Amino acid sequence: MSTGPESGPVLGRARVRAFGLRTRLLLAFLLVAAVSAGTTAALTYREARNALLETAQDTAVTSFREQVQQIGVGLPVQGGEDLEELLRGIARRGKPHPWVVFAEYGSVRASSGENPVSTVITPELRRAARANPHGSFERVVKDGVPYLTIAMPTVFKTGPYSLLPSGLVLYAVMPMTDEQVNVDALLMAARDGALPGLAVALIPGLIAARSVLRPVRELRRAARNMGSGRLDTRIPVRGSDELADLARTFNESAGQLERTVRELREAEERARRFASDVSHELRTPLAGMLAVTEVLDEDADHLDADTARAVRLVSAETGKLAVLVEDLMEISRFDARAAELNTDEIDVAEAIRKTLSNRHWTDDDRVRTQLPDGIRARLDPRRFDIVIANLVGNALRHGGAPVTVRLRTEARSAGTPVLITEVMDSGPGIRTDSLPHIFDRFYKADAARIRSAGSGLGLAITLENVKLHGGTIRAGNLPGAGAVFTLEIPLRAEGAGG
Amino acid sequence: MRRARTRRRAAAVAAVAVAVPLLGGCGIQETDVIEAGGPASVDAFFNRDSEMLLFFRSPDGGLSPVIRTTGSSTVFGDGYAESGSAAQNPGDTDGPVPTEKVVVALLAGPRKEDRAAGLTTSLPAARPGGTVEVELLPGGRVTTRLPLALEGLDSTAVRQLTCTIAYSQDADGQVVVELTGQDGASTSGTCGLAPGTTGNVPGTATSGGAT
Repeated sequence: MSTGPESGPVLGRARVRAFGLRTRLLLAFLLVAAVSAGTTAALTYREARNALLETAQDTAVTSFREQVQQIGVGLPVQGGEDLEELLRGIARRGKPHPWVVFAEYGSVRASSGENPVSTVITPELRRAARANPHGSFERVVKDGVPYLTIAMPTVFKTGPYSLLPSGLVLYAVMPMTDEQVNVDALLMAARDGALPGLAVALIPGLIAARSVLRPVRELRRAARNMGSGRLDTRIPVRGSDELADLARTFNESAGQLERTVRELREAEERARRFASDVSHELRTPLAGMLAVTEVLDEDADHLDADTARAVRLVSAETGKLAVLVEDLMEISRFDARAAELNTDEIDVAEAIRKTLSNRHWTDDDRVRTQLPDGIRARLDPRRFDIVIANLVGNALRHGGAPVTVRLRTEARSAGTPVLITEVMDSGPGIRTDSLPHIFDRFYKADAARIRSAGSGLGLAITLENVKLHGGTIRAGNLPGAGAVFTLEIPLRAEGAGG
Repeated sequence: MRRARTRRRAAAVAAVAVAVPLLGGCGIQETDVIEAGGPASVDAFFNRDSEMLLFFRSPDGGLSPVIRTTGSSTVFGDGYAESGSAAQNPGDTDGPVPTEKVVVALLAGPRKEDRAAGLTTSLPAARPGGTVEVELLPGGRVTTRLPLALEGLDSTAVRQLTCTIAYSQDADGQVVVELTGQDGASTSGTCGLAPGTTGNVPGTATSGGAT
């Protein structure tokens, strides 16, 4: 039962199931058919056989009595040739088959055959014939051959109306070989009648299985379609049985789900557009403010100390605000799936060096690099620059110098080589309870530090950019101390996919 | 696991339910002894006027009737017309054989042809010169005085005497026979050998000391 039908929905589709619905339905039909056909055949066979045997037995007993009543005997009965001749006469006229006739009187034993005493006649039959003067018979099977044994006690007239047992008992032994043949033929006929019945029962079984299995298959296909995002999937409702009810319920649920998802998407869309619009609207006044603060910055030296400090604060905060708005707009583009990947085949080591030198991080010894030359990959240079800059800037800001950037390639089991970039710092590392949330928007690893230099969106934007490249990014801690960010981007030699 | 076992058991029950009626009664089965009609009535050529019926003991312990021709009577066709008429004078030689003669013949024991068929007698060998007296009583009773002691006879011997006397007196044998021995012991009973009658075991009423 552990390897149930639920395991592997795609694989299980092609496989014929050992105890699937079809098999069970067919088995049930076969069982019912077998029981009914078998019972009918067995009862018919039994009745026919009993009728056949009874006819044969009655004929034999009646004709034996008639034959015996025609003989005359003297009392005491004399054994010998005369008696045997008499018995042979009866034996010849046996019906329905010739029989062997035995006579027992006192100690006289005689028969129409070779042996004077039969080995087939049972003591029970002898006792019954002696105890009361009635004809009686018994069916005996000896060495696989069925025999009919008949005991016929004789009486004689002592007066016009009175009879007296003579003490002479005649037995007839008749092999029932013909009856055996007939009964065997009956059995064959019953069996031959029952087996086609079973075969015929397969047809309604298959039809019933099909009528159940087809809706089930449709339901499964529809459920899979729903799961893969096609929420407009519906099932045709046929008939009015339980499966039709199931299909109707499925359709209703699918409709409700579709409606809910549409509403959610619309709400999300509205929220996203709102954020995008807000950032856009903020950009224009911010541009003006930035221009003004630049002028004020230049003139700050001529102002008195307090005013100069205030002007510089306003200028710095305005700059941060501008960065925040830019980041928000970038995130909005990702959310709206409007971000595009403009790939180009670049030398990765060269690109990283350029990024670091542009930010003046390589001027002193704060950032160390292990960048083997000659690794080329198709990347979006602008986005890769943002990713590296964000990771290194973050490491410098929150971790501690020196920061190491290491580049290598690795072949994965799937066969596609991946580009691995690691950024390690020498700080205290990331707290383990913060690790799962490190890429969340506006997440502050250090709750005490309310304000930081970054917008709070840097790592979120990094993650989105990596995802856009089809890669992954992990945050972790080194065994000693310091955080490590591992970036994996599949290497695409050709510019396939974008 | 449990469900699988239940299912397997159900399948086994179903298989047995199918198999038993199919295979159980195949072929021709044995039967018990089944009674089928009456006995066969054969012709024993018994002529009451010239022949007598003696009862001897067969090897299985029962009684076997034997037909014995009397030496004196040879009239065959004449007696046939009046056979079975019980109203005839018992003393007449033209009628049935006298009971006294029949009892004497019984006491004489089985002859050679009887012994050849394995018939014996349980009665002691009769002493010569003994007389048998038969007296007919009203109400279908007959009393017989025997020249031997009744004491010590087994039930087969008593039945031999009872049946022989009864069938000598009556073609149906439906007579109550009283036997009296030399020792004074007496017994009475009926033969009860005819099909359809319940045999009264003789010797149920014995009374001794009748001088």
